[in-house]
Amino acid sequence: MLRKDVNDLLTQTSPDTPMGEMFRQYWIPALLASELPENDCPPVRVKLLGERLIAFRDSKGRLGLMDEFCAHRGVSLWFGRNEEGGLRCPYHGWKYDYQGNCIEVPSEPEESGFCERIKLRAYPLIQVGDVLWTHMGDKENRPPEPEWEFATVPAEQTFTSKRWQECNWLQAMEGGIDSSHVSFLHSGGLKSDPLFKGAKGNQYNEADKKPIFEVTEADGGLYIGARRNAEEGRFYWRITPWVMPSFTMVPPRGDHPMHGHFWIPIDDENCWAWSFDYHPTRALTKDERQAMIDGHGVHNEYVPGTFRPLQNKDNDYLMDREAQRRGDTYSGVKGIAMQDASLQESMGPIVDRTKENLVSTDNGIIMARHRLRKAVTALRDKGVRPPGVDAAHHKVRSVAAVLDPDQAYAEACKEDLTARPGVKQTSV
Amino acid sequence: MKPTDSPTLLSSCARATTWKEAQFRVEYPNSGCRKTRIFALDDRATSAMARITEQPWNDARFLTLAGDDVNPDATSADDLALVDSHGAKADLANELSGADVVVLISGSGDNAGAAEVVTREAYNRKIMTAGLALADPATGHAADAVVNILRPFASVLVVAKDDEFIPAMLSALRA
Repeated sequence: MLRKDVNDLLTQTSPDTPMGEMFRQYWIPALLASELPENDCPPVRVKLLGERLIAFRDSKGRLGLMDEFCAHRGVSLWFGRNEEGGLRCPYHGWKYDYQGNCIEVPSEPEESGFCERIKLRAYPLIQVGDVLWTHMGDKENRPPEPEWEFATVPAEQTFTSKRWQECNWLQAMEGGIDSSHVSFLHSGGLKSDPLFKGAKGNQYNEADKKPIFEVTEADGGLYIGARRNAEEGRFYWRITPWVMPSFTMVPPRGDHPMHGHFWIPIDDENCWAWSFDYHPTRALTKDERQAMIDGHGVHNEYVPGTFRPLQNKDNDYLMDREAQRRGDTYSGVKGIAMQDASLQESMGPIVDRTKENLVSTDNGIIMARHRLRKAVTALRDKGVRPPGVDAAHHKVRSVAAVLDPDQAYAEACKEDLTARPGVKQTSV
Repeated sequence: MKPTDSPTLLSSCARATTWKEAQFRVEYPNSGCRKTRIFALDDRATSAMARITEQPWNDARFLTLAGDDVNPDATSADDLALVDSHGAKADLANELSGADVVVLISGSGDNAGAAEVVTREAYNRKIMTAGLALADPATGHAADAVVNILRPFASVLVVAKDDEFIPAMLSALRA
């Protein structure tokens, strides 16, 4: 359980909150690059950390992310005209450049200098991989650009999607490090999902339903190791890295692409669940990419034209009691991503952690909260830069490996847990 | 459409989890007091544990080994010498009676025999055991000896860089 004040501390991310300030230390995913496909394309509304923003790509290809509302009368610039090097409000023609500077106020004499005194709050927007990233903190403390492996491999080796999740970021993220739910909630997926099935490691999962967990602190966050019995007294390890504040990777299966998530607050009651798949050494096959587009693996299907999952709380996630009864799915909800999201949303917009009854196998979650709390208070009270900002912390991988019983996995797999360009993942 | 396909009340469907609806939760406590028994296996663990024994806990008991390590095969619950946080002699069987969770803390990897006795007795009583390995503050890694002493017995093992995790974990477990 958590005290209410600690729950509030970790779940509130709007401006001027301690956790909001912490998220503003990082480059965070803001949009898919495909949302701004060409110069002068339609602007896109995006809400991040409680701030309503508008993203656009101007005539020269420069990317802008700024306050959604015109400084004049508060009109949403989503209605704006993206033309000739800026975004023009359709109400009275005020125009802004990609850095939020007002560059034209038609009603005022140009020589008055009026528009030079108008500026919308704006944030940098950069493309790394197929994602547009922003840093919403102080310019003086801007960290180096993100170096996550999924975003830095060649384009043909990676695929990213995002979906709207209707709950606070923390309970969604905690699902990503809660390895103990996999044996239950996702038990059907190992046999049927095209992005999981067929791996040797799946047999260990099937044979040993009671993994033992070992949680180890890492410089950027944690490693959560799940240990199952393998042959001849050896152990099959699945190692999940968590990098602060909200990056997780799922341990790999065979030669399937590796996958993971970012959980980014939209506001305190909604978040973006970013899901990526990549292979470190080869292009994704046509079938793999199509499976991702079709919503398999960690991805999902959508309400057409939106990032809202097709299965959502308005339709009870298309619950299929017959599939649940047959054992095709454990919860009756189809797909790994929505199996997680449906249960996490069912906790309520911000779960009341004062009512929890955690057990010792929840120690990954307990440690993650402990580290978040320490980092948030160190930043707030002493200005200490939190773990995960340093690009060296981005160079992580998940691992699946069979080890001798006396080996400490974090040491034995030190190299395997590090992203190494051109080197294949360690998987079983 | 069957009646179950068409909820008649907001609180009958997944939409119930709006922030406002989420307030309608049963207020009655949903768990009893949790009995937690914490064992420090060596000097470093004892020192880390000593800093938190005076905090207000629900039903936590802090225990340390008195004497040298033991041969687990020749040591019963009655034979293991323990003292509680006030320095009084403690009895392992009594301490484990009705306990919900056992936490073993190791900082050096010493006293493997005593660890085995505690975890064996906990296992026989169907009590979940968690292991907490205190990492070397300088390197951030726990010695293999520390991890290996806990691994065979613990259903979950945590390697923590800082001793502050001990009270954080115990609070989270409602100790």
